[in-house]
Amino acid sequence: MPSPLLQIRDATKIYYSGGFLGEKKSVVALDNFNMTIGGSPATITTIAGESGSGKTTLANLVLGFIKLTSGRIIFDGEDITDMDSDQLKTYRRNVQAVFQDPFGVYNPFYRIDHVFDLVNRHFSLSDNQSEYRDMVEAGLNVVGLYGEDVLRKYPHQLSGGQRQRIMMARAYMIKPKLIVADEPVSMVDASLRASILDAMLRLRDEHGISFLYITHDLSTAYQIGDEIYMLYQGTTAERGTAMDVIDAPQHPYVQLLIDSVPVPDPTDKWDVNISLPSEEEMRTAAAQGCRYYPRCPHRMDKCLEEQPPLFMMDKPKHEAACYLYEERDIAPQELSLVENRPKSITAASSSSRNRERIAAAVLIILAFALGSLLALNREPEIVTETIVETVVVTAVDTPVPVEPTAAPTTEPEPEPEAPAGSVAIVPVFVVEREGATDQGAIIINEDSIGEIESADDRHRYTLQGVAGVTVDVKLITGGRGLSGTGFFAPLATIYAPDGSIVFAFDRSRRSNSGEFTFGMTGTYEVLLGADERGRGVDAYTITFSGDMPTPTPMPTLPPLAFVVERDGATDKGAITIGEDSVEEIMDVNDRHRYSLEGEAGMTVDIKLITGGRGLSGTGFFAPLATIYAPDGSIVFAFDRSRRSNSGTLTFGATGAYEVLLGADDRGRGVDAYTITFTAAEG
Amino acid sequence: MSEKRNGDPSRTVLKVEKLRIHYATPQGDVIAVSDISFKLYEGETLGLVGESGCGKSTTAYGILQLVQPPGYIVNGSIEVDGTEVLHLEEEELRKFRWTGLSLIPQGAMNSLNPTMRVKDQIIDVIESHEGKQKDREALRERIFELFQNVGLPNRIYNMYPHELSGGMKQRVCIAMGVALHPSVVIADEATSALDVVVQRIVAQTLIKVKDEIGVSLIVIGHDMGLLAQIVDRIAVMYAGKMVEIAPVENVYAKPLHPYTQLLIDSIPSIKERKPLKITEGITHDPRNPPSGCIFRLRCPFAWGHCAEVEPTQIMVEDMHEVACHLYDEQFTERRANALATIANS
Repeated sequence: MPSPLLQIRDATKIYYSGGFLGEKKSVVALDNFNMTIGGSPATITTIAGESGSGKTTLANLVLGFIKLTSGRIIFDGEDITDMDSDQLKTYRRNVQAVFQDPFGVYNPFYRIDHVFDLVNRHFSLSDNQSEYRDMVEAGLNVVGLYGEDVLRKYPHQLSGGQRQRIMMARAYMIKPKLIVADEPVSMVDASLRASILDAMLRLRDEHGISFLYITHDLSTAYQIGDEIYMLYQGTTAERGTAMDVIDAPQHPYVQLLIDSVPVPDPTDKWDVNISLPSEEEMRTAAAQGCRYYPRCPHRMDKCLEEQPPLFMMDKPKHEAACYLYEERDIAPQELSLVENRPKSITAASSSSRNRERIAAAVLIILAFALGSLLALNREPEIVTETIVETVVVTAVDTPVPVEPTAAPTTEPEPEPEAPAGSVAIVPVFVVEREGATDQGAIIINEDSIGEIESADDRHRYTLQGVAGVTVDVKLITGGRGLSGTGFFAPLATIYAPDGSIVFAFDRSRRSNSGEFTFGMTGTYEVLLGADERGRGVDAYTITFSGDMPTPTPMPTLPPLAFVVERDGATDKGAITIGEDSVEEIMDVNDRHRYSLEGEAGMTVDIKLITGGRGLSGTGFFAPLATIYAPDGSIVFAFDRSRRSNSGTLTFGATGAYEVLLGADDRGRGVDAYTITFTAAEG
Repeated sequence: MSEKRNGDPSRTVLKVEKLRIHYATPQGDVIAVSDISFKLYEGETLGLVGESGCGKSTTAYGILQLVQPPGYIVNGSIEVDGTEVLHLEEEELRKFRWTGLSLIPQGAMNSLNPTMRVKDQIIDVIESHEGKQKDREALRERIFELFQNVGLPNRIYNMYPHELSGGMKQRVCIAMGVALHPSVVIADEATSALDVVVQRIVAQTLIKVKDEIGVSLIVIGHDMGLLAQIVDRIAVMYAGKMVEIAPVENVYAKPLHPYTQLLIDSIPSIKERKPLKITEGITHDPRNPPSGCIFRLRCPFAWGHCAEVEPTQIMVEDMHEVACHLYDEQFTERRANALATIANS
């Protein structure tokens, strides 16, 4: 029997939130999930489901961005949680990713060949230039492209389909065994999707690369997928071959999903009178039993008792988890976990964390040996919340009006008043963790990454907030992690005393600084290590500073103007684009590049003064400037996600930072404006 | 508040004529939108389709006078309810946006300010047009009514965008778009990032709001399945040109332009596995478009004439216009051959 490529067993991922003062909440993103991808021949396995179904969690788990709460992921016979750094490097080579956004992964100011140069540098593919060029050409040819057509172009000069195929070519060059493709076609025009799907088929059939294809688009899965797993709230609702499942769905949820795919026939219109579930209902899940119970038209009392197992349908390998099929046979659990001798058991480890892991592994192996009847005990009881209930109000110890959740019947919250006697100096906030306090900074270094990878109490810090006070939050990254991949790792979430999220460094935030104003007085919680979707962490420092109502006097430094350089000319701290010079920054060429000398740890205040017309009054913000660190990563951006016209940036490294004006990575426009840079502290 | 306007399908609310938009580059202008003309009737939903870069979003931004430099409007006329938008001064224009015309932009759910409560963002839209609202109670009632229009619960009033699901955020954006009761709302890919079930709910919300408030709607999209479900007419754009405009039933049942045929052909199916039909998208240099017909480099039926003469819009039957020489009366024989080729394939 050929050994399977990827085996996922009883995989559970739980995210915790809140819980500092109030009740601890947990969300099960993946619940006892099982999956096997065979080794040969290569296959395309589709994971489909709506947002929140756990499909992206699964992708991130397989990519090693996040860790399982329990269960195992075995790749080529090795458990990926026990890999040392050498094995991890090999694993990263074997498992490559292609992501959803064909714009976001490219630096808009480098030509396409830069993508391949980076791969060559990172994975040391070849020292020989002509051999390397042949490799690039071969990679492009596999996805139906030619070097001379694309390599010297900028990303914006290519279609979304071409950009995604270049990402496939990039992955192919590394010769992986598995590509995790997370919604690779969803941002590409329907007429161009076929070229990406075709590239996937060629990589599968001609080059033996398997795919874990994550999508919510059932039609593409139907066209190219081999096996499909339909996820609902972290569990498999139904699985089988893509054609069997989509042609004849058996699970009530899958039936609704397939029925909702719009039919491209205007004479066969949706019945507008059908009562669709409200979105809140759609997010509801039963605490126990079948997750689909609250929405299910066929629900029975039995469904509340226990989560239904997968029952076997008529077609081979077609299984559905629904008690409607109770009289049928339960699908056999895949008992044989094919793996090399687990490293963690032979290797002696003094770390208690490893010991726990070994214990868990042994327990799981035992569980398998005892067969499927022995269900793993997954206490504490899991409560999946509806969106209504995620905002938990708990009493705070200060007489500040607490905002009720049922807001509509109450007066809108009064604007917080600026505290009297506030002095404009920059003290730091006290950060507490397990009784130890620190002045204004949380530092996670290479050594302490390990301890915040599990979602437990150890990565909780607290911050005392005073209503109306504003805090500047800055992030200084460093060390390993996602750096160099072009993806930004989420790092911190700040919760108000009422449990609501007031600030987050996450994928949507491209800048490493920000600010928020305490809406109430009380203890704010800073959670590090994973956002609510559990994305990964890195070594970093987070600093908190701001105007406190009871200030500790500190010397203030005179603001320094930074020197901005452009084409040899230098300027003191400001870039001005007048109506006249708007024209010259429209083209993606060298003329709108400025440089700024950064010194690690130094902070600069950035202010944007716009002029001219624009999107004002529409409620939407036009993008204007991007700042790149010496290593090419984006550290600051005035773009759609930033609604304020000021911000701060702390240099993570010393060197020349690049300020690019004129268009963001989607080529959105510019306007007449001035950007000023002043030093915040020495 | 929301007086129900009965749409008069013969009344034109928006008339776009010969609209031409260029993007200036040092190597020459890129023609983003090339002399397109169309009308939008009262109470109607018009779908505007085409692949990325075909100019559909630029057309929308052009109608709203939101084309950002280096883009600029070369010529054309945009009339909304009889007002020529291109003649408005900046201040008038600012007032006119969202009261006469509004936009639900692409990826609208990411356009919400993550640090502002839902209520504050809607109040911002209202107050930036109508000035500070003294009667806060009435303002709140007004927002609740908007919520009701788009099927949102009142409890989200004080919430932040991250506390809402994608579909709810999208509905907040719809609420912002219709807050000032504009005559025309343009929804740019308003549901493309949503799950199918939610997409269906949001799309139906959009149509319901359109009917209740009596606005006319332009839906920009590339999901031909979804458009089939919600629009009355479809306008197909290719590389800045309008190539076909027709009632939705005609477009799906008998697409005339070879490009529209390609679009209909590439709709992914969940009914049968078909061989993948690979197309490269717009391949010519937009600064230097081919002579004659814009589609001839990709057209399976192109012949010499197509390189020489640019096709104009031909009214083939009632409400069905196409810009293709095959439908010129002097080439009926070619048309018959082309149709036979399609029938055989």
